[in-house]
Amino acid sequence: MSSSSLVKRIKSLAVLTLLVAVLGVIGATAQDEIKIGVVLPTTGAEAKAGQYQKEGVELAIKQINAKGGIYVKEKKKKLPIKEVFYDDGTDQAKSSSLAERAMTSDNVTAMIGGYSTPLGEAESVMPDRHQTPWITAGAAATSIFSRGYKYTFGALSPIFQLGFTTAEFLGSLVDQGKLKKGLKVAMVVENTDHGVDYVNGIQDWIKKHPGYFEVVLNEKFEYKATDFSAVLQKIKTAKADIFLSDAHLPDYITMQRQYLQAGLHHQVISYGARGPEADARKALGAGTDYILAALWWSDKLPYPQAQKFVTDYKAAYGRPPDSWYAATAYDAMRILAQAIEQAGTLNKTKIRDVLAKTELKGSLLPGQVLKFGPTGQAGYPFLVTQNKPDNKVDIVYPKDAATGPPVAPIP
Amino acid sequence: MTAVDYLNLLISALLLAGIYAAMAVGMTVIYGVMKIVNLAHAGFLMLGAYFAYELFNRFHINPVVGAVLALPFFFLFGMGVHWLLVRWLPKSDTPTLSSLLLMFGFWQVLQNVGYLVWGTEAYSILTPLTISSLRMGQISVPKVSLVVFAAAVVSLVLLQVIMNRSWFGRSMRSVIQNPYAAQIVGVDDEKTARLSFALGTAFAGFAGGLLALLYPFTPDFGPPFLLRSFVIIVLGGLESVSGVALGALILALTETFSINVPFPWYSHGWTSYYLPASYQPAVSFVLLVVALLVLPKGIAGLLEKKWRTA
Repeated sequence: MSSSSLVKRIKSLAVLTLLVAVLGVIGATAQDEIKIGVVLPTTGAEAKAGQYQKEGVELAIKQINAKGGIYVKEKKKKLPIKEVFYDDGTDQAKSSSLAERAMTSDNVTAMIGGYSTPLGEAESVMPDRHQTPWITAGAAATSIFSRGYKYTFGALSPIFQLGFTTAEFLGSLVDQGKLKKGLKVAMVVENTDHGVDYVNGIQDWIKKHPGYFEVVLNEKFEYKATDFSAVLQKIKTAKADIFLSDAHLPDYITMQRQYLQAGLHHQVISYGARGPEADARKALGAGTDYILAALWWSDKLPYPQAQKFVTDYKAAYGRPPDSWYAATAYDAMRILAQAIEQAGTLNKTKIRDVLAKTELKGSLLPGQVLKFGPTGQAGYPFLVTQNKPDNKVDIVYPKDAATGPPVAPIP
Repeated sequence: MTAVDYLNLLISALLLAGIYAAMAVGMTVIYGVMKIVNLAHAGFLMLGAYFAYELFNRFHINPVVGAVLALPFFFLFGMGVHWLLVRWLPKSDTPTLSSLLLMFGFWQVLQNVGYLVWGTEAYSILTPLTISSLRMGQISVPKVSLVVFAAAVVSLVLLQVIMNRSWFGRSMRSVIQNPYAAQIVGVDDEKTARLSFALGTAFAGFAGGLLALLYPFTPDFGPPFLLRSFVIIVLGGLESVSGVALGALILALTETFSINVPFPWYSHGWTSYYLPASYQPAVSFVLLVVALLVLPKGIAGLLEKKWRTA
């Protein structure tokens, strides 16, 4: 074979390859499916929660696709959802770049992602840049939603609300006569946005309801601290009646262990959103009894849709959903599907506009309605749980969801 | 605060110092002999914690015994790591970038192996001692912290005896003081480095086993301890085992008392001011900067200089 014919053959091959690639791209962009980007950590430090969130999203997609998908009016047919998943490895830089990749290279219609505040913050800059609706089901810090973003939505109620609900519940205990009015409160929270928002929520309620409680200590501690004896001494010196903390799991376990070793006792104890975790109960046994926690969701919620979700989840994955992770992700996908159907188009801006005002009725979450507020963040009430002896956990607030009475003061 | 409160705080600080010394000493041994800042120390602490947990969970071995058993196990593990990775590093009198990067990379590998094997759940060891305390009137001493403190002190004394009395200890000290002179008088620096790395790893594994009694742990376990280890060995002197004990004591006392002792403060008249608890780590790192500026050889170096002058 002469060299000129070889060159011709190579050229023809190159043209053919290019043609196939172009046809492939055209084929892929033909919208016979709805691509939803999902960027969550399924490896690294947040892998456990990220995996549950991924499963929550996938269960919702599976159920929607089983009914033929989402009806899109402008296409005059139902389109199935295609998930485009990326694992960010609990890495902020990776999380942000993968969100951008999903929005640009993959051209997804909308995105769900960002478990935990740092990863959510990293991803949250992308939605407005690429005008793609994005819902986080795992980042609740108010800071994400106070920057005026239009395409950023959050399915978790803010931490401020967590603090507010905790104080509101304590106020209800005063009204029931279980606690006296004017009790002294010691607040010791982690030195993060989470801790700051929690304290602000409690103080806001106390300010609006004078005479109920008096704050005698308001301290912050190092996140993942190695020792709490000095902080606990401050709590002891404050002579408070109620001890409220806001901590992540390792700090909750270490602080509660040292609290018990120091022989401290208060009428009420809470560690914010921590309390009923199995890891903590394994670590401290009966030492976690009577601790209160304010949560976004619990598998004990008596709503029929919540119980159906638990059954479906167990059937799909062979284990119950741990904590709230899967439930908020499941509802984030459901409200997104509802917004696409109501928009009747795959135009991202129109979907965003509908998301801002739509309401998911029959939500799994407390209050049974999921909707986004003016900043894009949901604002449903928290529920309060209390650990009881023999590894039992009861929802004690609000009343319509309660599975048992609150025990206060702690015996 | 009453005098009893201060006494309680002092006891807490002493117990904490024992834990801090145990966790930092392995790093000091490796730095002293090899001039390697062992960033994988946090990974060895983490593996030590899981080692004690697995022995406790599978074979019901007391976690303190588990921590002691970690000594020979991690000694062999350290020998293996040295043979596989560390011996290829270029020799240097000062810490090198390649050694820092190698140990950082190895730490990441250990952490990810941890995620693969144990996942991200927080593990803890629950024993009858976990939440019980010795009470003498208003003074309370956590039993588990007391046991960990005793084990840490015994291990430090043992290490000091090895350093002072054995041939290996003497060769280690000679390499720490002057590696070239040590070679001239016949010290096998290769062998000393290998055994020192193994000994440092063994003590890290042992400390990890003890820490498992006090803290919940995940594969991410270790960074707060690693940072404090830096402060301790800089305070105590980068190459001294007894200095480590002193550094640990100073750090623990400073951390504990800094937020509980009132400072006089002037704001529309004199008043007392308590440092917020969130400033505790800042206090530690101010201590680190001051030690680096004023006492580059640590407190042990200062004491040695005074002794020589006298």
